[in-house]
Amino acid sequence: MTAFISGISVVCFAASYLVALGCEASRPLFRSGVRGALLVGFAAAGFFAHTLFLAWRAATEPAVPLSSAFDWYLLAAWLLAGGYLWLLRANPRTQVGLFVLPVVLGLVGAAQLSSRAPFPQSPATQIWGAIHGSFNLAASVAVAGGAVAGLMWLIQATRLARKRTPARGLRLPSLELLASTTSRAGQVAAWTAAAGFISGLVLNAVNRRHGLLETVPWTDPVVLRMAMLVAWLVAAALAMRALARRPDAARVGAWLSLVSFAVLTASILWGVLGTTRHGVPPAHAAATNEAAP
Amino acid sequence: MTLAFVGGTHRTVPLALRERLAFSAEQAAEALRRFRDRFPGREVVLLSTCNRVELYAAGEEAAVPPPAEQLVSFLAECRGIEASVLASVLARESDEAVVRHLFSVASGLDSMVLGEPQIVAQVKQAWALAQRQETTGPLTGGMFQAALRTAKRVASETALGRERLSIPSVAVADFARGVFERFDDKRVLVLGAGKMAHETLRYLREAGARDIVVVNRTAARADRLAAGLGGRPGRFADLVAELAAADLVVSTTGASEPVVTADIFTRAEVAREGRPLVVLDLAVPRDFDPAIGMRPGVWLYSIDDLGAACEANRRSRQREMPAALAIVDEEARRFMGDLHHRSTTPVIEQLRAGWSETGDAELDRLFRRLPGLDDAARAEIRQAFERYAAKLLHSPLTSLRNESRSGPPHGLLDALKRLFDLKE
Repeated sequence: MTAFISGISVVCFAASYLVALGCEASRPLFRSGVRGALLVGFAAAGFFAHTLFLAWRAATEPAVPLSSAFDWYLLAAWLLAGGYLWLLRANPRTQVGLFVLPVVLGLVGAAQLSSRAPFPQSPATQIWGAIHGSFNLAASVAVAGGAVAGLMWLIQATRLARKRTPARGLRLPSLELLASTTSRAGQVAAWTAAAGFISGLVLNAVNRRHGLLETVPWTDPVVLRMAMLVAWLVAAALAMRALARRPDAARVGAWLSLVSFAVLTASILWGVLGTTRHGVPPAHAAATNEAAP
Repeated sequence: MTLAFVGGTHRTVPLALRERLAFSAEQAAEALRRFRDRFPGREVVLLSTCNRVELYAAGEEAAVPPPAEQLVSFLAECRGIEASVLASVLARESDEAVVRHLFSVASGLDSMVLGEPQIVAQVKQAWALAQRQETTGPLTGGMFQAALRTAKRVASETALGRERLSIPSVAVADFARGVFERFDDKRVLVLGAGKMAHETLRYLREAGARDIVVVNRTAARADRLAAGLGGRPGRFADLVAELAAADLVVSTTGASEPVVTADIFTRAEVAREGRPLVVLDLAVPRDFDPAIGMRPGVWLYSIDDLGAACEANRRSRQREMPAALAIVDEEARRFMGDLHHRSTTPVIEQLRAGWSETGDAELDRLFRRLPGLDDAARAEIRQAFERYAAKLLHSPLTSLRNESRSGPPHGLLDALKRLFDLKE
C-alpha cells in the first residue's frame, strides 16, 4: 500500500483531470451513454490520487502542506477540484468542468514549475507562516472560483439575452446561483487576502526579531503585488456591495471577478519573475541582492 | 409470412375517422379476446392512441397470421365501420417492414411531434394489455421487447427527445430556469387569462413555484382565475406594486395596447431594488413594451422569441433523424436475424439428436468391448465424444447463424436435410 501511494505522481492526477476535461469538452460533439460515468470516474480518481499525493507529502515531508510554492499550488488545485466534484454531484447536467478543470490544471502546471524547497521555519514563525499561507490560499481559491462563476454568468446572460436555447453540451447553472457565487467569492477573497497580507506583516516582524529569514522590504515584488492585489480585491468587494441593489449588479460583479483573476495572475507572474527576499534565508537573500541590478 | 400489420395514423386517417376507429382500453381488451377466439394460435397486439390505431399480428407454420384484408375487416367489425372505408386508408405491412415500423413508432420517429416520449409508455401498455388477454407469444414478445430496447437506445444515444417543443415548456425550462435557481421563493404574477397561462403555470408549479398572484382588469374574473390557477387575486389598480414584488411575469391579456408601458415599468423598477425579472409575454399583441427588455436585469421573452426557440429545437430534432434511423435499422436487422435463426431450430435439434444417438450407440459398443473401464474413465470418454460432436457441429451452426442475418437460410437447411437425411 505504501509503495502504491508513494508511486503516485503529479502526472497521475493531472492526466485524470485532463481526461475528465476531454469528456466535458466532447459533449457538444457527440452523444455517448458512457461519457457521464467516465467523467465522474476520472474526476473522482484524479481527486483521490491528488488527495493521496498531498497526504503522502504531509506524512513524509517535515513542513507541509503550505511550506513550499509547489505544495501551495497543489493545495489550491485540490480545493478547486473538490469544489468541482461537489458541483458535479449537485448539478450533474451542467458543464461546469469546462471552466473549473482548466484552472485546476493551470494550478497543477504552476506547481510543476515552482520550487519544492520548503520555506525555512522555526517554532516562532510556524504558526504565523501557516496563517499567512492559509489566508492567501483561501483568497486565491476564492478569486479563481469567483472568476469561473463570473465567466459562466456572462456566457449564460449572453445566451438568455439573445433568446437562444442552451447549446448542446453547454448547459450552465442559473444566473441566480452564479451571481451569488461570484458575489460571495468576491467578499471572501477580499477579506482573506487582507488577512493574509496583515499576517504576512506580522510574520515579517517575527522573522526580523528571530533572524531566521531576511527581512522583506516594502519594495519587494511580493509585498508590492500582494498590496496591489489586496487593494484591488477590497475595492472590488466594496464596489460589489455598493452596487448590490442595482439591476446590473450581477453583470458588474462578473466583470470585476474576471479582472480580479487577471490581477491575481499578474501578481503571481510578477512574484515568480521578479527578484524577492520573500521566504529566503539570510545567506540566500544576500546572494540575491548581489545578483540583482 | 410470420408478421403482419394493418394500421392508420394522423398522416393517413382523417381525424373524424380516427375518432371512430380509436379503441378505449376496455374495447381493446374485448377486440383482443375476439381475435384470439377467431384466429386461434395467432399472436396479436393492438396499439390505439389519439394519433394511431395499429394491429400487429404474428404466427408461424400452421398458424400464420391472417391476410391483411382479414385484419382490416376485423378492425372494421370491432368498431362498426364499413370495411371498404378502412381499406382505403389503412396501411399494410408484412415481416421485416412490420418490425421496422414498430421500432420507429416506439422510438417516436413516426409521431406527430418527432421524438415525443409518451409513445413508449403507450406501446408498453398495449403489449401489457395483450399479455393480460393472453394474445402474445414468442414472436410478439420478442418484437415488442426489441422495440422498447430500440426506443431506449434512440433516447440515450441521440438528442431526438431532448429539446422541448412547446412554448410553455421552452419558456420555463430553457429561459426561466436559466435565470432562477429555484422557484419556491419567487413571486409569479399572472396578467390576463390566456389559455397558455394555465400550461405555463403547470410547468412553473412543477418547478416549485408556490406564490402566484393573478391580476385581471375585472376583479371578479381575477378571483375566478386565481381559484382556477391555484393563486390569489390581485387588483389591477395595484399593477405597479405587483410588478415591483414579482420575480416572474406570465402575461396573456387580450389587450390591444401594451398593458405595461415603459413608464409604468420605470415606476415599478425603483422599488425592485435590482432584483432580476423574467417576463414571459405570451400575448398577441404584446402586453409589455419591447423597450422594457433592454433594461438591465429584465429578461423579456415574447411569443415570437419563444416560438423561434421552439422552431430551432424542432430543426435540431430533425438533424438527429439519421442517427435514430440507423439505430432502428441495426436493431431491426438483429431482430430479423434472430427470427430467421429460430426457423433453423427444428433442423438443428434433429441434427444434434441424430449425432447424439449415433454417439451413444458407439459408446455402448465400446464399453461392452472394454469391460475393465471404471466409471471415471467411462465419463471421460463420454465427454470426449460430446466435445468431438460439438466441435464438428460448430461450423455448420455458425454458417446457419450467419446466413440467418440476411434472410431465412432455406438453401443451407435443405442441404443439411439432404446430407444428413433429416425428416421435414
